Amino acid sequence: MRPRLRPFGLALLIALAWLVATPPPSDAQTPKRGGTLRVSYGNEVANLDFHTAPGYEMMWVAMNIGCGLVNITPDGKFVGDAAESWTASPDGLLYTFKLRKNVLFHDGTPVDAAAVKFSIDRLMDPATKSGMRSFYESVHSVEVVDPLTVQIRLKHPYAFLLHMLAAYRTGLVLYSPAATQKYSLEDRKQGKPGAVIGCGPFKLVEWVKGSHLVMERFDKYFVPGLPYLDRVMIRVIKDPVTEMAAFKAGEIDFIASFSPEHVDTLKAQSPNAVIMTGKETTPMLAAMKVTVPKDGKPMSKERAPHPIFGDLRVRKAIGCYGIDRQEIVKIAFKGKATPWVGMNPPGTLDTVDVNALCPYDQAKAKALLAEAGYGPAKPLTFELMADTEKSVFNVIATVIKEQMTRIGVTANIRLVDKVSWMNSTLQDGPWDMYVEDLLSLITLDSNAYLSNSTSTWSHPRHNDKRVDELYARYAQEMDATKRKAIAKEMQEFFVENMYWNNISGSPFYMVAQPWMKGYVYNAEFEVHYDKVWLDK
Amino acid sequence: MRVYILRRLLEMIPTILMITLVVFVMMRSIPGDPVVALLGDAYTEEDAERIRAAYGLDQPVLVQYVIWLGKLVRGDWGASILSGRPVLSDVLVRLPVTLELILLSMGVALVIAIPAGLIGALRQNTWADYTATSVAMIGVSIPEFFIGVLLLLVFSIGLGGILPSSGWVYLPGTCPTMVCGVSLWGNAQHVLMPAIALGVGRAAILTRLLRSSMLEVIRTEYVTTARAKGLGERPVVLKHALKNALIPTVTVMGLQVGFLIGGAIVVETLFAMPGLGTFGIDAIIARDYQQVQGFALITAFAFVAINFLVDLTYTVLDPRIRYA
Repeated sequence: MRPRLRPFGLALLIALAWLVATPPPSDAQTPKRGGTLRVSYGNEVANLDFHTAPGYEMMWVAMNIGCGLVNITPDGKFVGDAAESWTASPDGLLYTFKLRKNVLFHDGTPVDAAAVKFSIDRLMDPATKSGMRSFYESVHSVEVVDPLTVQIRLKHPYAFLLHMLAAYRTGLVLYSPAATQKYSLEDRKQGKPGAVIGCGPFKLVEWVKGSHLVMERFDKYFVPGLPYLDRVMIRVIKDPVTEMAAFKAGEIDFIASFSPEHVDTLKAQSPNAVIMTGKETTPMLAAMKVTVPKDGKPMSKERAPHPIFGDLRVRKAIGCYGIDRQEIVKIAFKGKATPWVGMNPPGTLDTVDVNALCPYDQAKAKALLAEAGYGPAKPLTFELMADTEKSVFNVIATVIKEQMTRIGVTANIRLVDKVSWMNSTLQDGPWDMYVEDLLSLITLDSNAYLSNSTSTWSHPRHNDKRVDELYARYAQEMDATKRKAIAKEMQEFFVENMYWNNISGSPFYMVAQPWMKGYVYNAEFEVHYDKVWLDK
Repeated sequence: MRVYILRRLLEMIPTILMITLVVFVMMRSIPGDPVVALLGDAYTEEDAERIRAAYGLDQPVLVQYVIWLGKLVRGDWGASILSGRPVLSDVLVRLPVTLELILLSMGVALVIAIPAGLIGALRQNTWADYTATSVAMIGVSIPEFFIGVLLLLVFSIGLGGILPSSGWVYLPGTCPTMVCGVSLWGNAQHVLMPAIALGVGRAAILTRLLRSSMLEVIRTEYVTTARAKGLGERPVVLKHALKNALIPTVTVMGLQVGFLIGGAIVVETLFAMPGLGTFGIDAIIARDYQQVQGFALITAFAFVAINFLVDLTYTVLDPRIRYA
């Protein structure tokens, strides 16, 4: 008769076996140096002048080649980058930054107060043509106190200065004065060796447009021991099917932005994939044009109401009550987004749920249309523009078209490419409604340049100065509680006037191989590879 | 022969110019302004006008074309409006990738088409003929991207990634940039699926063409004479019939280069290859006029040059053909 193991003995054996089979946890968490991180971007980097180039792909390169004064963590805390510490004066008009001693640009020149002043002055100079310039509207001047102390003096209090320096688009990217003066703008845009100089953890090795961008470790990076990686190799893979195949085959370690409609397929194909997402911070909107040029000249200051959507009743009938946001989210995002009427998506600072202001109500929509003079005798027809950059735009447009027929309205879809969309919208061209997701919003304030009455990027071209006044009040209010109240007032105001017709948030996904460690997800705002290491 | 070659070379010039002119005018006729894309959110009308003037975009289209041509003669292909990069250097970086893809896809097409066409003709109305014809019909009907996706699913995903799904590894000695993957084996792995995806459709067309040419040729009197003289079937088919049957096939092969360049746009995008196809489509989408012109110029030249070479191969295939 074989001896039988008692339950205690069996448990002991299992525990011993587990201990033998499992490596000590400290080993698994010790970062390893070396290796090449292979990254896939869905779009091409536009160019490498970080102060002027558009696009997230450029920003995610800028954040690793460049350094700034501060960064922001996923929970909204500020951490020093080239700045060691900072203080604000009691009146909120003077910010003093103390710089670290050992920060160098890749060309060996020091990151000092003069370089900070040089960089901010460059961004604020109209001749630079930086899309970031409007963010510095509140800055009066930058003063060098001593080589390691720099002050930013403001014209008026600005509650979001640190947010702006950390994460509005690229955030502040410091430029080496020596390299900037030595090389031309064209050299920098083309990524010529020596022309793209930052103070970040990686330096540019080579950019071959349409092929790859290679960065390698900057050995004199100011954080000891970082970065862990030898190299980062970025490739452009536009087709999500190919991207998934490359990921499954282990050809890439990290997908910096993955299309939401393919997430389930990727999960099924690569069960070990680390899929990162968070609260939605990008608005998906169906914008309606509010005014048109009175004299027919694009961008004219003389405005007349748009023939259809110039009437608030029509805007509310179509945008507020006529659109079933739940249905759109269910079809276009497979339920992975949040129906959201307010202009601030659910993940943005000071967001307010104002969905109750716009319940889906066909009867109310029809009544408002009838009040505006539309009905069976005078049916309403408008053009719904969607661009081909993302397939989800076309899907949403199709659902809206269907929803419009339920209230007796005809929406004719016009599918255009991105450049045509930009031409129509930026140049005040003839359009009625478009579907797009715009800038990812870390704060409500960062959306001012897309929605105030004077911005080029305010496509609906409303000319309501109350919007500007609300934005200014919000940005200048230093009391967080009072600021939140203004944010609520502003978001309700936008819904009541339908200047910004939000459909939902827009989910954002990043995908990593299980061996990619140390990456801190912070949506589109902060993409840093300095702490990343490869466990293989 | 020399006179003929010289004449043909001279004839290539107006053909290429005409193609580039048509592309030039067409690009400027479609909606979309590259200056808007360039300036993005910093767009102002004043800046837009300044940039249009700097790139000569404020001139009439024909004047712009003449300016472009003048620079081209001096070896200046211009610079990308969006990135500022010289067009010629970008084209030269991408040319080897597309050239290799096209040559190998044509190779794939011939490897399939010649035996299939021969079998179809020599075993007419048998199961072998029906199979070859049916497969050819299916091949013609399936677009490149579909074949590409199927190959990806099978070889990159299904069979544990035995072939890489994307990217490019250069042949030794051909790396045009600082950082390249370079390996003969790696290159073969990377080019195989794209070449098959691009070549299968061409193979189908060539199979059908070769079959019908062969059917015609093997019924001619000189083939009957060759058989009557006691020649074996193999030399009759391979030495006498096939050479003549290949003449229309070679002609169509030359014309197929245009389709291959078009197909390369799709296949290179699918397999994320850094070739001229992706360069061209990105340039068109971005309305980067200078890059589109560079793309049009190089593809027009390739098309015309290959058809010229095709004409010259006639003399090899049929010694009776003489050019004066």
